[in-house]
Amino acid sequence: MNVRSSHSLQWLVLPCLLLARGLASDETGIAPEAVYRSNVREVRLAFYATDQQNRAVDQLTGGDIAVVDNERVVRRFRSFARTQETRLQIVLLVDTSESVVPGFQREIADVVQLISRTDGISADDVSLLSFGGTQPKVICQGDCQGPQARAKLSTAEAADQTPLYDALVFAAGFIAQHHQPGARPVIVVFSDGEDTISRSSAEDAIDAALGSEAVLYAADVGASHLHSDGAAALRSMSEATGGRFFPLRENGTSILSAVLEDLHSSYVVTYQLPDRETGFHAVRIFPTHNLNLQLRCRSGYYYQERAR
Amino acid sequence: MRRIWLLILLLCGSSVFTLAQGRSQEGTIVRMRMAECLAAPRGFMAALSGSARQSSDELCPEYVLVSDKVVYVIVGKTSKALVPLAETTRFHFDRNELLIRVDDSNHETRFVIREMVLRAEWDRVHARMTGDDEETSSPRQRLDAGIAMRNTH
Repeated sequence: MNVRSSHSLQWLVLPCLLLARGLASDETGIAPEAVYRSNVREVRLAFYATDQQNRAVDQLTGGDIAVVDNERVVRRFRSFARTQETRLQIVLLVDTSESVVPGFQREIADVVQLISRTDGISADDVSLLSFGGTQPKVICQGDCQGPQARAKLSTAEAADQTPLYDALVFAAGFIAQHHQPGARPVIVVFSDGEDTISRSSAEDAIDAALGSEAVLYAADVGASHLHSDGAAALRSMSEATGGRFFPLRENGTSILSAVLEDLHSSYVVTYQLPDRETGFHAVRIFPTHNLNLQLRCRSGYYYQERAR
Repeated sequence: MRRIWLLILLLCGSSVFTLAQGRSQEGTIVRMRMAECLAAPRGFMAALSGSARQSSDELCPEYVLVSDKVVYVIVGKTSKALVPLAETTRFHFDRNELLIRVDDSNHETRFVIREMVLRAEWDRVHARMTGDDEETSSPRQRLDAGIAMRNTH
């Protein structure tokens, strides 16, 4: 999400500016630079709507939801629409530490194959990163369905340390660097959630994901069959970005289905910035009538007043 | 004679209906946050004095409900006491608690009243404190900002 200047008057003003510019260049022979600015602050929020059975809801209108932005209830929206994104840009982030279930790298390789064959996901839009030891590594970028990537992943040695938060910060940076317009950035992390060595904190990881506008999906692949702190960390991080958490041993197909379902059940709403308080604006979204609606969005955004 | 009885019945029925409707009020929720839950209801006097106290670490939804004359700060009894954030919220009172009916269900959600303030006072507070902000010029926005100021002090 970002806060941007709205250009609602742009289409009215633009022809006048072009006409004036044309006249000016006729008289002097030099085309002056036309600069125009607007200072209306607007928040753009993407969210997902499902029913109680977790099925996509595709008939929502602006009157069905209210946004709570920094505690203020916003019901008047500048725009409300289904998302225009039709593609996914996926970064798979794989934990190769000793604490995860042995042999799951093979499963990940199968997931990569499956993703590459899925409608709406181009093989070029899939990247695979791993983390274990002291730092994350890029296994492949864009050519992940080939045998080389599979071999690289399956031969990755189990490391004794887990830099989960650093890896998430790295993945967010990676996704921001390779962002493609019109594609929704998604990070799918397969981990037990137990960070042991990162310099970054969980908050840093969430901030990085929010900053890159990526949605985080977290799959618990820990060897422990009990509810762990790691699973709780994965859950809270994924929910903070508007993503989902998948418990132990959820298979790759169902995770991929959920990611695709979200792509097709998402909306984008824009509204005027409700206050000029700089810093983090916490955001939640609620139904106005039907409490059975499940609405998910990222936990907030950063607003910084720009000097005029 | 039968017609007269029918007329009397109709008049009585409409009077009772009007009274029942009179008990129900309408307002708009302008703010929402998760706050510390309150202990058992303290009633109007506690709400007016602002002395209602927290009881546990659980977080409950707190709403600022604006009606024509009074602004209520209400707190749910559990973390799940969520209500739809419709433009208009219908509510009434029962034993010092504020009850909100959810459109699609038969039950009502009970809220403890944390604070009650006259709406005119909120308008005045805000007019004093944020009078120069060009982006919060409507009466609702002024009131809203007034509540924010009050809560932070």
